[in-house]
Amino acid sequence: MQTFDLSLINNLGLIVITAGVFALLGRLVKMPSIIVYILAGLVLGPFTGILQVDGELDLIAHVGIALLLFLVGLELSFDKIKDVGKVAVAAGLGQVIFTACGGMVLCLLLGFDVIASLFIAIALTFSSTVVVVKLLDQKGDLNKLYGRIAVGIFLVQDLVVIVVLTILAGLDRGASLSLGAVALGMAKAFGGMTVLLLLVLLASRYCLPKPFAWASRSPDTLFIWALFWCFFVVGIASVFELSLEIGAFLAGIALAQLPYNDDLRRRLHPLMNFFVAVFFVTLGVQMDLSAAHEGWKTALILSLFVIIGNPLIFIIIISRMGYSEFNSFRTSVTVAQISEFSFIFAAAGVASGLIGSEILSIIAVVGIVTIAVSAYMILYSEPLYRFCRKLRLLAPFRAKQEVEVERVYGMSDHIIIIGMNPLGRLIAERLHERGETVLAVDTDPRKLAGLPCHTEIGNVEYESVVNEIGLPQAKLVISALQIEDANLLLAHRCKEAQVPCAIHAFDTSVVEELLELGVNYLLTPALEAAVKQRSYLREQGVVPS
Amino acid sequence: MTGLTLLLLAAALAYGLSRATRLPVIPLLLIAGFGLQLLAEWGEVEITGEALRHVIELGLAFLVFAAGIDLSPTRVKGRERAIFHVGFWQFFVLGWIGIVVALALGYPLIPALYLGCALSASSTLVVIRQLQQRQCRFEPFGRLVVGVLLLQDVLIVFFLVVLARAADGWLPTLIDLGYLSLLVAAAAILHFRIVPWVVRKLHLDDEERLLFALTMLFLFILMAMKTGLPYIVGGFLAGFALSAFPMNGLIRGMVDSLNSFFVALFFIGIGFLCTFPPAIYFAHAALFVVVLIVVTIVLVTFIAERMGFSTKASIESGVLLSQTSEFSLMVMLAGVASGQISQEVFSMFALITVGTMALTPYIARDSVVWYLMRLHPKARRRGHKLSELKQHAIIIGYGQTGAKSLKVFQDAGIPVIVVDDDPAVIHALMQEGIPCIEGDGSQSSVLLEANAEKARFILLTLRGRSNIGSLLQKLDQYPAAVLVRTFDPQTKAMAESHHAVVVDAIMAGTEALEGWFALNCEPKISPNLPPLAERL
Repeated sequence: MQTFDLSLINNLGLIVITAGVFALLGRLVKMPSIIVYILAGLVLGPFTGILQVDGELDLIAHVGIALLLFLVGLELSFDKIKDVGKVAVAAGLGQVIFTACGGMVLCLLLGFDVIASLFIAIALTFSSTVVVVKLLDQKGDLNKLYGRIAVGIFLVQDLVVIVVLTILAGLDRGASLSLGAVALGMAKAFGGMTVLLLLVLLASRYCLPKPFAWASRSPDTLFIWALFWCFFVVGIASVFELSLEIGAFLAGIALAQLPYNDDLRRRLHPLMNFFVAVFFVTLGVQMDLSAAHEGWKTALILSLFVIIGNPLIFIIIISRMGYSEFNSFRTSVTVAQISEFSFIFAAAGVASGLIGSEILSIIAVVGIVTIAVSAYMILYSEPLYRFCRKLRLLAPFRAKQEVEVERVYGMSDHIIIIGMNPLGRLIAERLHERGETVLAVDTDPRKLAGLPCHTEIGNVEYESVVNEIGLPQAKLVISALQIEDANLLLAHRCKEAQVPCAIHAFDTSVVEELLELGVNYLLTPALEAAVKQRSYLREQGVVPS
Repeated sequence: MTGLTLLLLAAALAYGLSRATRLPVIPLLLIAGFGLQLLAEWGEVEITGEALRHVIELGLAFLVFAAGIDLSPTRVKGRERAIFHVGFWQFFVLGWIGIVVALALGYPLIPALYLGCALSASSTLVVIRQLQQRQCRFEPFGRLVVGVLLLQDVLIVFFLVVLARAADGWLPTLIDLGYLSLLVAAAAILHFRIVPWVVRKLHLDDEERLLFALTMLFLFILMAMKTGLPYIVGGFLAGFALSAFPMNGLIRGMVDSLNSFFVALFFIGIGFLCTFPPAIYFAHAALFVVVLIVVTIVLVTFIAERMGFSTKASIESGVLLSQTSEFSLMVMLAGVASGQISQEVFSMFALITVGTMALTPYIARDSVVWYLMRLHPKARRRGHKLSELKQHAIIIGYGQTGAKSLKVFQDAGIPVIVVDDDPAVIHALMQEGIPCIEGDGSQSSVLLEANAEKARFILLTLRGRSNIGSLLQKLDQYPAAVLVRTFDPQTKAMAESHHAVVVDAIMAGTEALEGWFALNCEPKISPNLPPLAERL
């Protein structure tokens, strides 16, 4: 066993601390976290040269991408995506064709030669799945109709990327590309996709439910099993030469059919946030801006093409397929950026000597500009929609005006009861009998079984659980838990949200802190039992009336 | 990615086995890691040592960070004296005995110091899980045990700094302790001033909060590295900086997610890097295991009883603390990293950890605790003429509410006998001159001695369903009114089947809540209701 060299800790330290400082500054201008991370990467990489991306950092970045897509899969069960398959294929392929052709023409007009134009056009074609999914997740819109359409489109694009990667592999090897090789690559990609999809479908139907139900009573076991499943499917995907994103997404889809997918998603979320942050920072570090000052005007024109042109073609295709103007617009703005794959593609072109390094710099600038602008466009798509509508910019598309009805998951004016021990169950049953809307919450699915009221699997230590159970809208929150830390945190959250709460004071030592937190009622079954016992003794004439 | 998948496969197997066998997961992770090493050699799968070391580094950082987050001073409030005495004496006496045994076995001084230090800490991860499974984390002895674990963590971090410089002499050690003081001061300022301000003023969302916590973690780690301190000291102090309520609660869920991932890989990594030690080390490991368990149980029981805990609670504390810690592995790992400990000694210590952690669920069973209770010296009985009592009350199981019930009967002028199997409880009752019997209330001889056939009331305040069941069967033959306090529907049904008077705590608590609800919440709750402190 050798001594620690701590290089990874040192590099991660630089990444996290720089991102932390930028996040603090970014709060002043409400900067999306993705831009914060990329800026941190630019400072650590191209601007100062402090950080080099090595194998370990690269692995962490890839783990981040896998976890991000795994979470997307977990969010989207088959039911939620099957209705958007058609529009995803049409819009995904339509945009690829339009951007590639339009980009090619534009580059030729800008004076690039044919090969350079081809590289730039392809680089401009692909939008970033990771960027968009991260932003939709941050916005809480992955589950909405436009979010589901966007995810579908990006997965279609990922399949096209595989075809391009096949061509790229040919370029790397310096081999002459034949139509047969491309056709074989495509057959492999789509065949592999079909086989993997079937495997995952069968697993989710027959193999996974029982073992995962067994593991679900131990949150740590469920967590580690889910992670293993994710990377196992990623491994199988790589055998079929499919991308990491597709493997992770399908792994997530398989688990999305299980009843505890929401709890799993919440537990995986912080892990994904950490790894994805590293991914974006390393993306910034690796951007080659050495020749950017020479081609900035060209980069600006190409950026405008991506920011305006891509959404334009999208809104045409999606609105023609019968979707409302509102959802067509919000889906369209998600494609107004280029992908991290574009950098890899351009770098491969430079390495093979087909294009010069100035092309790579131009693409890097286009990447920074489009990702930054589109991040704001996605996060603020509703105000942007209202603005465009006011200027009647959307009128020419003649899209449907009635907005599709979204399924509403939230509750309000309900009573939340946390901890389904005998006390929690009895309270839930009694309040339900009184005609109250009751939501029972526990981490153990078995403890929720058989309750007549609404139920939710989850740990209230996670803020996402607090929001999903509608704590700020609740009429009353009751905790029957005998966990001091969880009860104190819950009392704090209720105080912040100004929601009344009743907390189980299972021990006299917890009373003082709970009262300081303004708890409205202290549940004290042991004390109430003593009162009852006293009543009995009074009936027996032991205690004077 | 293949390496990571294999590590996760090993972790998934270990967690599955832990779930199936109810054994602590840490020893199973270590064994799975070792198994993976054999498998990798056999299958010629490449898992690079460098990647594993990075996994271990990160795992350690998150392990100490999570421990630091639990280090809120409010956790030990009001129990400082008991925690200090039990924690301090256990740490130092066990440490010294560990050093002496190691020296006697022929280990050089520095490895013996490392072994002593590593043996003296108990596992937070294993003990907390045991306390949760037994639902007694927030009982007085559970709080004592958690406090002792926190104290041990602090002492381990301190000794880690000292041991790292042990070979360099006093001056470098003092300089390092000076740096440590500066880092502690920085963490304290953050804990008491800056972190509460951040919570109050910045209203961070989940992602920002995680980034803030990780920034603190790596900032302290880099500061520790710059000052030449072990980086894990920085990780621990970063955790302490964030341990102020409510920040600790707000980030715990998120840090747990990262911690579960990295710590699982950490233990797999440690297992992977272990070697098969020579046969003599197995004998050494067995001896250390026996010394650790015996000394911890005897020592903790003795001190906890002196601090006013019941014998049962003291023995339970002792058995729960009788294993080595994940921090112990960290100390030994630091020794290996600095070249002060050989690979074989480290592997031997991993064996001790596997052994003691795997044994904990077995020796912490109720049956073992009761057996140890029987070995405990009995309190000497003073002369109460129990056989002359009639129309009296018998309280079986003094527990936390026994004193209140005792007072009710005494105020009514009804003679009372307390039956409890805890020598410390009996000793305290004798000091107060209260008639009592030390023994198991479900034994006929004890009931006979308490003159149960002439009693008016028999009050049961026991918690275990099986204990209550066997006792109720014996009490069926007596005419006294039997009162049973129940805390779950199954015990209630059982008590009712024996025609006992059931005091259903769950129903009582629910009805009281409903009364409050009807009064205050229908139709609308005022968010500014005054706290109902007067109920208590």
